[in-house]
This record gives sequence, C-alpha cells and structure tokens, in this order.
Amino acid sequence: MHKQFSRREFLRAALGSGTAAVLGSVGLSAGRFALAAPDRTESASSPYALIIDTTKCVGCGACRTACNLRNELPEDTSYIHILSYGEGTDRSFLPVQCQHCAKPPCASVCPTRATYRREDGVVMINEKLCVGCKYCEVACPYQARTFDEDRGVADKCWLCLDWVQDGRDPACVAACVLGARLFGRQDDPTSEVAQLIASGRAKPLHPEFGTHPSVLHYIL
Amino acid sequence: MTQTAWGWLVIIYLFLGGLGAGALLTAALLEVSGWRYKRDYCPTALTGAVISGPIVGLGSLLLILDLGAGKTEPWRIVYLFTNFGSVMTWGIWILTLFIPVALFYGLLELIEVEPFIKGIVWARFPRLLRNVPLYRRRTAIASGILAVGVAVYTGVLISAVGPAVPLWSQPVLPFLPIPMMPLLFLISAISTGMALTFDLVATIAIPEIQQQMRIMDLAHIVLIGVENVLIGLLLLSALNAGGAAAESARMIMYGPLSILFWVGVVLVGLIYPFVVHAYAIGAGRHSLWSGIGSGAGILIAGLFLRYLIVFAGIPAQL
Repeated sequence: MHKQFSRREFLRAALGSGTAAVLGSVGLSAGRFALAAPDRTESASSPYALIIDTTKCVGCGACRTACNLRNELPEDTSYIHILSYGEGTDRSFLPVQCQHCAKPPCASVCPTRATYRREDGVVMINEKLCVGCKYCEVACPYQARTFDEDRGVADKCWLCLDWVQDGRDPACVAACVLGARLFGRQDDPTSEVAQLIASGRAKPLHPEFGTHPSVLHYIL
Repeated sequence: MTQTAWGWLVIIYLFLGGLGAGALLTAALLEVSGWRYKRDYCPTALTGAVISGPIVGLGSLLLILDLGAGKTEPWRIVYLFTNFGSVMTWGIWILTLFIPVALFYGLLELIEVEPFIKGIVWARFPRLLRNVPLYRRRTAIASGILAVGVAVYTGVLISAVGPAVPLWSQPVLPFLPIPMMPLLFLISAISTGMALTFDLVATIAIPEIQQQMRIMDLAHIVLIGVENVLIGLLLLSALNAGGAAAESARMIMYGPLSILFWVGVVLVGLIYPFVVHAYAIGAGRHSLWSGIGSGAGILIAGLFLRYLIVFAGIPAQL
C-alpha cells in the first residue's frame, strides 16, 4: 500500500503532471520538424516548366475540359480549378492545379508515402499505397488534390507525364487556344519558359506558403 | 467555402480520442496520488481506467471506416506506420501502443471489483494477482503518458497543415511560435474526461459525492477557465490574421455556425458548468442534477467544439 497524498500534495502532483503534459504537447509539436523526412530529391527545381499567363486567360475552361476528358474525370471533379477575381473589365482568372512543389506538403503528411516527388520534380501518387485518409487534400495550400470516390484514393494533376516524356505538351497546354499556357524545359536556357522565369516575369504562386513550386509558374 | 475533405467520422473520432485520453488521465492521476483508495474517488478511477481503452478503440474504428481504399483493401493499413515525418503516422503508433495498455489498466481495476474477472485471471495468469496495486500503478503511469500523446497529437495533426488552413495553425500567442490546437485539444480532453468519469458516473454512483468533492469543482473551474481563454485567444488571433482565418472566426462567431458556438459550446459547455461549480465552492454543495447537467454539458460542448474547428477550417485564399 502506498501513502495517500494530502490535498496540497495532490494539487502539486496535478500541477506538475499538467505542466509536464503541456510541455510534452509543445515538444510533440516541435518534434514534427525534427522528424520530417529529409528531402530525397537532389534538386529543388525541375527540368520542366508550365507557365500560365493570367493576362491572357479568359477563363473559358478549355484546359479543364481537356484534362477531364483525358483523365476520364466526373463532371464535378477536376485537377484544375479556375478562380476568378474582380468584376467587369477588371475581371481576371487564375487556373490552379498541382504546382509540383519542391517541398510538397502532400508528400510529407502522407502516412503511407503514397505521394512522392520524383527526381524530375513531378509529384506523383502511387495509388497502390494510398489508403484514402485525405490528409493530403487538407494539407495542400493550393487545394490541388482531389479524391477519387470510386477507387477511394487521392488524385491530382500528374503533368501528363507520358506525353511530356515523349516531348509533347500536357493536355491543358495543348488545349489552350489563347496561348495562355506554355510548356517547356527550364533546364534549356534558350527556351521561352526558361527566359520568362529567368527574367522574373514568370513566378511561383504564393511563395509565402513555403512549398517552393518547381514546375508551375505564373505571369500575374 | 468550408472544409470538405473531413466530416463527421473524423470529428467524432477527435471527440472520442480526447474523451478516452482525458478519462484515463483522470484515473491515472487518482491512482498515482493514492486518492484512488478513497471511497469517493473509486468510481472515477474505475470508470476512467475501464472505459478509456474501448472509447479510443471505437474512435479508431471510425477512423478506419473513414478511409477510402484502406477500407476495401485493409492490408494497406500497415503502410500507415511507415512515414515518421507524418503526424498521422505518429498517431497510428500512439494509438496502437495506447489501446492495449489502457485495456490492461482497465483490467487491473476490474480485478479488484469483479470476482468473475478475478477468477479468470487467477486461473490463467495467477502471477498477475501477486501485486495488483503495483502493476496497476505502473500501468497507470505508462498509459497516462501515452494518453497525453493521444490527446495532443490530433491537435498537432491539424496544425501541421500550416498555411493550407490558417485557422488550424494559429499560435497560442502572437509572439510565441507554439500552435494553439495541441494545447486546446489537451485541455478539452482532460475536461471532457473528468466530466464523464466524475460529473456523470461518480455522481450517479455515489450521489453524496456532490456534497463533498470541492477539489473536483476547483479542477473543473480551472480547466473551464483555461479552455475559455484559449478559445477566445484562438478566435482573436484568427480575426487578426485576416484572410481565411478571419473568415473561419467570423463563421463561428456570427455566421452560420454561430448558434452552435454560442449555445452549444459557450453556454452549455463553459458558462453553465462554470456557474455550477463556482456555486458549489461557495455554497459547499450542489444538487445531483446540476452536477449531471454540467457533466453532460461539457461533453456536448466538447463534441461541438471539434465540429466547429473541423468544419470552419477554411482553406487559404489564393
């Protein structure tokens, strides 16, 4: 049998364990950074660049339609969502899709490592590992992740990698009739995309999110 | 635009996880201090220890039901244990360790009061009976530490999305880089755990308790007071941050969710219990029904608070 505490000792014990619990919670929050998986990819950038010129975009949605058709997505889902700002003659449009970040929060929060970043900067999903917890959908600051209800897995723009590796443009770029979308290799200094990025005209979107988009750039 | 990825299953899990952790922490504190042996605290310690494992287990089951492909191909769940950079992986580990230890703690309590169980244990594991109080004390400490993990990690999980959902990543104080959610979830967990094990169960088991247990009233007042302050700080910080955080705060305070907040959380879960317990300290006692009422109120508010936080988690403006 152990001795019983007096009221004062009980309060002291409660306060002590309470403080320990609070400190523990702080430690757990901070430990997240210590335990974060190291960035396995060597380069923070990507050989590919997809530039969206919002000064030319009229919000017609052709890119979205082409993407949906190519990926056989249902009508209420899309890898691309088109935001609009302003009114009347000041109206502007912002097509947003996966930015293929160099520090993708979707990959770091994914508990099964289904989402990962390739060496060429393209962020992909290994659907065989995905359990459908939707943490990635919540964690993407660009809200670029969707969920495939039928298969129960996360989904998003995959940069039409098969076409890109064949030297062709992704579907959304090919579909834009106004030339608001450009695709090319930023590792080729003579390419138009490389020059737009180097000149500073084409920039990452919301760099304050800290995710370092490596493929998508915007002319705002 | 509200948060749409996570719904009721996740919300109920957050509630049950916190409740189970808090209930066990209450019991563990009584065990370690030796107060468990006082007649009036016995039901609280017993309830906390016994109910905690099943409650958290039930919540975890709901989480699994919320999965997509992880439901239809359950072997994928093994992969959840692999990414130590993800707070969700931490959570899976903490839950997997916590639930069996909590169940064992419950068993060590039940042994003392249920001869039937004692009989089974005596037949299969007689060694266990040699020093039940010692084993229970150690198990209480181990499960208590894990319970803090269970209560806190969910707060870390939602705050870890950082800029994606500004409401969830608000700091405790503007100049302090410590997120609010882990702390709020911890306090709420302890509060709901005490409300269940003491206000509801112990009061019903030993009605005269309400006439005597001033220290429980004091503990409640402190917890409710702190929780009140934290919620206020969260909303102020969110309003001040502008953008999606301010939109979240407005939604909660005077938007579509405001009735749920002011009545379901503030009135029923903060003001009413606070008044009940403050009066009890002053008058020296309170009625059975107000004790049960405040207990139920704290539980209801705990659920609605998590509902509000999840649903009002508006994504960052682009």
